[in-house]
Amino acid sequence: MEIKYKNTVIPIQQVDFSEICNVTHTSNTNTSSTKPLETELEHKFVKQLEENQNIVHKICRLYTNDQDAHNDLFQEITIQLWKAFPKFRGDSKFSTWMYRVALNTAITLYRKSKRTIKTQDYEGVSFKIASEEYDHTEEKQLSLMYSAVKELNDIDKALVFLYLEDKNYKEISETLGITEVNARVKMNRIKDKIRRILNP
Amino acid sequence: MDELELLKSKWLSQDQKLPRLTFGEIYTMLLKKSSSIVKWIFFISIGEIILWTCLALLVPESSRKFTNDIGLKEIMIVVNILYYAVFIFFIILFYRNYAKISTTDSIKDLMGNIIRTRRTVKYFMLYNILGTCMMTLGLNIFYYTNRDRVFQLMVKDYGVLSTMDQEQFITMFFLVQFIIAAILIGLIVLFYRLVYGTLLRRLKSNYQELKKIES
Repeated sequence: MEIKYKNTVIPIQQVDFSEICNVTHTSNTNTSSTKPLETELEHKFVKQLEENQNIVHKICRLYTNDQDAHNDLFQEITIQLWKAFPKFRGDSKFSTWMYRVALNTAITLYRKSKRTIKTQDYEGVSFKIASEEYDHTEEKQLSLMYSAVKELNDIDKALVFLYLEDKNYKEISETLGITEVNARVKMNRIKDKIRRILNP
Repeated sequence: MDELELLKSKWLSQDQKLPRLTFGEIYTMLLKKSSSIVKWIFFISIGEIILWTCLALLVPESSRKFTNDIGLKEIMIVVNILYYAVFIFFIILFYRNYAKISTTDSIKDLMGNIIRTRRTVKYFMLYNILGTCMMTLGLNIFYYTNRDRVFQLMVKDYGVLSTMDQEQFITMFFLVQFIIAAILIGLIVLFYRLVYGTLLRRLKSNYQELKKIES
């Protein structure tokens, strides 16, 4: 109010520009010209997450059953990653570090229940197969496989996810906190489990 | 297993229809509040500690006067010092456990740390409940052996329930003590079942799952 009053009354050559800048800066942060730039750390972080967001989306897909839950989990993972980012030393790849934080968040986040696990699989997951080798049976097989994986428990899912991401057993065992041998044994058991889900 | 290998090959060529967020959309997420279990456990634990401190402060003046008159003042001071020493020890433990929780740990370590933090708070509550029980029991034994004096103080000096004779009053007195203790403990157990039962059930089963792999 005061500024407006000043603006209208004070002749243009006497306007204190620094004052006006200050006012617009604090009162209207949405204006693109005065929007405060993100800090360097924020910029660096968001840029890397943006590039690697597929990893997080894939985890959200695996651990949630509808779009809302997907978005909630994505947001929570983003927050946890950001909170842990100052500790990220860069001695491992950003994506490797991300696997761990994202899976940790997915597994420990409190979710109401596993109510609609089989039925409401949002948009289904389809894997587009290049046109020359397009094969209905193959695509069907793939989506069956995917729904079998979704029926596994949280820990098994994490293992399968890392396996599908082509992580070696050393990385898988480090992320989960178990030994490499046990990770292998467990993976074989999961394969049996999937087989049983597919052919009951 | 052929199917899983097939899924893997398609998985990596990544033709899944995945959403794509912009820089700005991700940036706004940084400003949002977290809703993780760890955070909830932290808040609830702080709440519990405050609750117990408040309960200790809520002891009415009349009760304090009664304690002094009946000759328990010195013993109560010693008991209180002991109580707060253990109390502080628990708070230190709790903070140390809480600070250890980090999302960059392995999944097993993370869950182990969360459960350990939870357990510290559980022991703290248990200590409080058991402590309260022991205190109540000890006090009541003391009151019972000194029931003439209790009656004298309560009925004659303070004029509480002055219409009752000694026998009636003593029965009433211990009955009330018992009921209050039972209600308090019942409420705390119920609180535990509701809050932590739902909050930690899945986490616990996941942790068991990981421990099973190693055994």
